[in-house]
Amino acid sequence: MENILNTSLKSYENCVKCGKCLPACPSYNFNFNEFFSPRGRIRLIASEIKDELPLKISKFEKSMSACLLCGRCTDICPNGVKTGPLVIEEKFKLNKLKTDKFSIDNFVLKALKGNSKFLFSAGLRFSNILKFNNLNIPKPSGKSFILHNDLNFSVRNNITKNNSEDCYENISIKKNSYNINEEKTNENDENYTDINNQITSAKPQIKEEISKNNLIKVGYFSGCVFNNIYPEISKSTVSALNKNNISVFVPSSQSCCGLPHISSGDINSFKKLAINNALSFKNKKLDYIITSCASCSFSINKLYPLYFCAEEKNEAKEKDRLEILNFSKKLIDIWNFFNILKKKGIKIKQGNLDKKLDVVFHIPCHLKNSADFIPFSKNEQLIGEAGSIIDNINGLNLKPLKHNYCCGNGGMFNIRHYSMSKEITKKKFSEIKEAIKETDKNKETTKETTNQETAAQVILTSCSGCILSLKDQKNILENDKKIPVKHLIEIYDKSIKY
Amino acid sequence: MEKNIVCAEFKNLLGKDRVLSDKEELLCYSYDAAIKESMPDFVVFPLNAIEISAIVKICKKHNIPITGRGAGSGFSGGSVPIKGGTVVSFAKMNNVLELDEENMFVTVEPGIINGDLKNYLDEKGYFYPPDPASFEFCTIGGNVAECAGGPKAVKYGVTKNYVYKLEVITGDGEIINTGSKAIKDVAGYNLTQLLVGSEGTLGLFSKITLKFLSKPAYSNLLIVSFDDVNNGFTAALTLLKLNNRPSMLEFMDNSSINAVKNYFKSSLLDIKGDFLFIIEADGTLEEVNSSINLYKDILNKFSPILLFAAGNDAERSEIMNARKAISPSLRTFGDLKINNDIAVPINKIIEILTAIKNISDKYKVPIINFGHFGDGNIHVNIMLNKSDSEMVDRGEEAKYEVIKKTIELGGTISGEHGIGIIKKEFMKLKFDDYYINLMRNIKKSFDPDNILNPGKIFD
Repeated sequence: MENILNTSLKSYENCVKCGKCLPACPSYNFNFNEFFSPRGRIRLIASEIKDELPLKISKFEKSMSACLLCGRCTDICPNGVKTGPLVIEEKFKLNKLKTDKFSIDNFVLKALKGNSKFLFSAGLRFSNILKFNNLNIPKPSGKSFILHNDLNFSVRNNITKNNSEDCYENISIKKNSYNINEEKTNENDENYTDINNQITSAKPQIKEEISKNNLIKVGYFSGCVFNNIYPEISKSTVSALNKNNISVFVPSSQSCCGLPHISSGDINSFKKLAINNALSFKNKKLDYIITSCASCSFSINKLYPLYFCAEEKNEAKEKDRLEILNFSKKLIDIWNFFNILKKKGIKIKQGNLDKKLDVVFHIPCHLKNSADFIPFSKNEQLIGEAGSIIDNINGLNLKPLKHNYCCGNGGMFNIRHYSMSKEITKKKFSEIKEAIKETDKNKETTKETTNQETAAQVILTSCSGCILSLKDQKNILENDKKIPVKHLIEIYDKSIKY
Repeated sequence: MEKNIVCAEFKNLLGKDRVLSDKEELLCYSYDAAIKESMPDFVVFPLNAIEISAIVKICKKHNIPITGRGAGSGFSGGSVPIKGGTVVSFAKMNNVLELDEENMFVTVEPGIINGDLKNYLDEKGYFYPPDPASFEFCTIGGNVAECAGGPKAVKYGVTKNYVYKLEVITGDGEIINTGSKAIKDVAGYNLTQLLVGSEGTLGLFSKITLKFLSKPAYSNLLIVSFDDVNNGFTAALTLLKLNNRPSMLEFMDNSSINAVKNYFKSSLLDIKGDFLFIIEADGTLEEVNSSINLYKDILNKFSPILLFAAGNDAERSEIMNARKAISPSLRTFGDLKINNDIAVPINKIIEILTAIKNISDKYKVPIINFGHFGDGNIHVNIMLNKSDSEMVDRGEEAKYEVIKKTIELGGTISGEHGIGIIKKEFMKLKFDDYYINLMRNIKKSFDPDNILNPGKIFD
């Protein structure tokens, strides 16, 4: 079999230096210095590989570490140059050369690797105290989503019609309402109680209805940010799935997807995390594994197959590798999942908002539509698969963004190059402000100035990194105003009822 | 040259962030889309004419070459600093300075991307036609310096037809303003048009004033192919005689049809034949429909084997994707491409293609041809394997013969990419010594110390 990783790592030879990647690159557009362009990086890498020119490591690293791994250059390259894997490979080589100095980003990476909630929040708090690089690291908005046990969210347990207004109530962190699977599932996978059985024991009267609907069982991959910093997004995702008659299984042993590690060149940790994640979902008889984070889906769908493409001679390792590929195949982002339901003719619940809401949707670089995606509605044409959910929420008014610039997060980029990252965010907000201004203009002309209709404007997106970056609005808007940032699934979840 | 002294002078002028002098950074400015590379000594990022003038004066004082650079996407090596020295990057000068809607002129800084200007005007209902294949990333400054063309040239002309005014810094560091917004302007020599296509050898642009048009409301595409080359050729010439001639008339010969056929699988298009055209009509909806019908009637008389008008946007983009697939599909023929952009009078197209076919057979190298039929500009791609040095030599010989034949037929050695360093050797085939000396003397008037892009076009 062709080794796609090796092919990627040779693809620098295909670069014809046409320059098509320049305008696509967020780090080039920061100050128009080609040293920070994909073409420049490819030239530097070629020089390093061919050993033509002795390069200063610190300087060389500066260019590589400023790559956000957004993949925009690779997407438009007519010659298939894979800048992402090439940059990762260089970072990997550079890491080997570096002495093990303490740095805040290494500390954060270690915290993520252990998936220890204590280390994670300690890491965040620590960086908050240090204000490293003036970096604004957000404080966790609540307890971790995944606690110490596997979670099973079965459909229609704990429904009380009265509090359907606030759906969070249904899945607030209380053991009872979670219906946590107390059995030690990790000991023996075969003993894992089927979600259907769970429901049977909990609410026998619903069984018939569900079997008629051919209940779908999914796993939920939370990702570290939606687990530790914004657990409410994980809750909303699970809740929205439940409300659509989908049972959700959340293994407690899952960890970070590994993207922050690989984007820092730590391929070994990335691989360890991949194995851990794949094994966490093993043998659970799940139809799909869903994530609501675009970066996690990029990491698992695109990078796992790339870094596990080579067959292992060791039998146990090969088994793990196949499990990872299987996991990667099963994992899909939430929008792709809803679109699959749509294709299968399964109706998704229609949501209603009490107030009209003007929104912009920031398309994360890592949110790529599947190759065979054909948009049906205007919203889908504007923002891809996520648009079909916008169709399903009455009262949501989407304002298209003209350029769809990058948010500036780029995983560890945001920590290493904070000021550069914030300049990119500023550029993002320039188009957001433009879209909002147009909304205001339209309102003036149509004289819709009653309080009811001038609802707050919200930035929606679908990626943990983008949310972190877009929420950090210090010195971006005049008078320190803030525009709220939400995950689209939060709005959808709020808008639908059981 | 004392590099440190010059560097300090630049940093004093521009601040340290707008001067690059580390070799890692310089490496990223040592090339463009042509093959040759050469390292500069400095890269500077000016923001206005006054800074450019000061940069030129520093370089003049120390006798350092200056090479202007937009996106570095040229095919002739125009922005490669072959004699080292200073690269002046215009990338930070990328603003629209003035939109004069009454006179229909737009004034821009040279670093603005062609596609960004197109979009800016498009939103206001206007249209800037020149559309080189790289329009999404090449800059207007580079377009003017090389006089870029594109498929729409058949109806709308090329960059030079849109440039009316220039603010230019000469080799003395003086700022001059050429031309005016008056449509008729015959005062003195036409320095504006002399500077268009001068490849950075006469001056550096700091402001460019371009004419724009009203946007055509609608356009549609037609695809047609013929088994008989002569039929196709006569059919296309007939279309060009029409008063409402096509706004695009791209052709692919059988070598490129075969290349695309294997690479581009389309459910819509069964690409076949020996001579294929992609034809565009633009205007109001009625005009487009009547043009398309007229073209179809004419083409049908020449027994086409495929004749197909796009019915909707999806089909239009499918057709354009087939055209765009040519370049990447060429990789299957070799990893080294010698790309020539010869142009001949349109009635000589068949003759040159036949000659190219013979040259391809003689030197046993695949040559793929496609391009802009409407203006006789053919992209002759000689495909070679880098590792096969003997084949590369044969390719070079083939290239020489193609160019000789082109000149014999009254054509030219470059239709839109410019001479730069890549085609410099062919200048003596096209021009005699007297003519080249005349050009040298013109350069001397603009650039007495020969510091502006030295070694380009001629030595």
